[in-house]
Amino acid sequence: MPPLIARYVRFTDRMSDYVGYAAAALIFVMAATLIFDAFTRNVINMPVHWAIEFTQFTLAAYYFMGGAMTLKNGDHVRMDLVYSSLSERGKARMDVVTAICLIFFLAILLWGSISSLQYAIETGERRFSVWNPSVIPIKALMMACTVLMLMQAFSILFKDIATMRGKPLA
Amino acid sequence: MSYELIALTMFGAMIVLLMTGQRVFAVIGFVASVAALSLYGQGAVELPFNQVFKLFNWYAMLTLPMFIYMGYILSESGIAEDLYRMLHVWFGRVRGGLAIGTIFLMVIISAMNGLSVAGMAIGATIALPEMLRRGYDKVLISGVIQGGSSLGILIPPSVVLVLYGMIARQPVSQLWFAGVVPGLIMAALFVLYIWVRARLNPALTPVVSDEDLNMPMREKLALLRAGIIPFAIFFFMTGLFVSGYTSLVESSAVGAFCSTLAAILKGRFTWVLIRETSMKTLSISCMFLWLILAALAFGAVFDGLGAVKAVENLFIERWDLSPWTVIIMMMVSFVVMGMFLDDTAMLVIVAPLYIPLVKELDLGFDGQLIWFGIIYTITCQIAYITPPFGYNLFLMRSLAPKEITLIDIYRSVWPFAAIMAFTIALIMYFPQLALWLPQHMNVRG
Repeated sequence: MPPLIARYVRFTDRMSDYVGYAAAALIFVMAATLIFDAFTRNVINMPVHWAIEFTQFTLAAYYFMGGAMTLKNGDHVRMDLVYSSLSERGKARMDVVTAICLIFFLAILLWGSISSLQYAIETGERRFSVWNPSVIPIKALMMACTVLMLMQAFSILFKDIATMRGKPLA
Repeated sequence: MSYELIALTMFGAMIVLLMTGQRVFAVIGFVASVAALSLYGQGAVELPFNQVFKLFNWYAMLTLPMFIYMGYILSESGIAEDLYRMLHVWFGRVRGGLAIGTIFLMVIISAMNGLSVAGMAIGATIALPEMLRRGYDKVLISGVIQGGSSLGILIPPSVVLVLYGMIARQPVSQLWFAGVVPGLIMAALFVLYIWVRARLNPALTPVVSDEDLNMPMREKLALLRAGIIPFAIFFFMTGLFVSGYTSLVESSAVGAFCSTLAAILKGRFTWVLIRETSMKTLSISCMFLWLILAALAFGAVFDGLGAVKAVENLFIERWDLSPWTVIIMMMVSFVVMGMFLDDTAMLVIVAPLYIPLVKELDLGFDGQLIWFGIIYTITCQIAYITPPFGYNLFLMRSLAPKEITLIDIYRSVWPFAAIMAFTIALIMYFPQLALWLPQHMNVRG
């Protein structure tokens, strides 16, 4: 593999990890917000009106930010009836062919997120609720994470091609 | 191309692509995106992305990462070992006591955990070696673990029912309450079966030797302390929820918090544990959520095609099947597909097709979709433990000690699958077994 590609793979993998670590910490943010809301409502009788929406936003950030790392670590389920019986090179060969599924789906998601973000910026879109937050930050975050996932999908593709040619990238 | 043909093509393409071993979410999302673009043109490009907001509005989805986190913390905290030791001493003198104790252990674990995998992992690594050492029949006990772990997704909290609730648009709390009675009936039938087998053939379950059990009453009572933590967690989580202080989602956060406290109390709490657990939680949650996102996109296109109407036409108008025959046919197809697919994949692929159909059928009672959720869950469990390709069978093989071969596992599951089928028959005949509790509970979200 050309050194440029090796560098791309290293860079992308590292980015995915960093963003993933940040995502993993969000579980505590969600739990803390929920418990805080339950506590203030029941004990000091002061409902927190933004709690539910805030945790919903956090959940969206959680799986978008974790997306690239889960791709990288191969944590997604596969129907491995046939797949698991293939050799490492066979698996790589199969993945190179079917990578189009992943890349196409992510590309459509990215396209959708860009047009959705544009709409939000043009119209100043807000959630219709008491808190009434702007949706621009979360949509921008989701778009950025989709870009990272797409980069990760290519990184995996490069690694598979390398494995297929018998010279795996570390 | 007629709409039926398009629907069939989508479905066929999906199955073929799944067979290649590509990530399930990518395959489903790919088929959905291609279909959306080719059917509706460029205007549909936002369709997959907009499912994010559909998922967003499904508030109960927040329970998913919470319960996954809780499951991991609990299995690391050593609570299960203590519980098993307690059950072991207290049930030791009963014929087949260890196997019966294992079922009880599974029930307790199920009440704190939402996935069947956790029960199986705990059963196979803690209970199984212990029973093997005491000369229990390995075919019997491997079945006990398989059967017992299926309680995990039936007794609340249940992650599978959260996903089902999302797709069927049913309140999760109702689904969870609906699972309680059938889950306990199933556990009771398992216990009864073990007890009868042990009676008929004492060689299957040797009595535990006396020196193991002869301990002062004080020590025996001390062992009961192992039950305090699970009970406290259950009380805080379910108790606050049932009495209306916390919502469903808040209860899941309380559960996650309590299990972390339990780990601290048992001295198992380390930074490594927290880091590992939050990373594992992230990866499992992402796996589920991306799959659901893709499935929602698939479902949105599928709904637009009126594919459900087509299936309905075929079953009810053309073949003239009675509602009950349709239900039974669905379940048979679940068992067949479950031999090849894993649980989430099956839920997101099959459920969008069947659930609208169930809504249309006239079975003669209210809450059909709640009831179907329970039937569906048990049927899936049967599918995962049925040879040759049941998903849980392989999992069990990878977790269990070497002496237990795949053949032993194959042979062991039949009686338990039969009991589960019998439970389904009971619930079909008496729908109130599932529906009574949710109809008499009044809770928050």
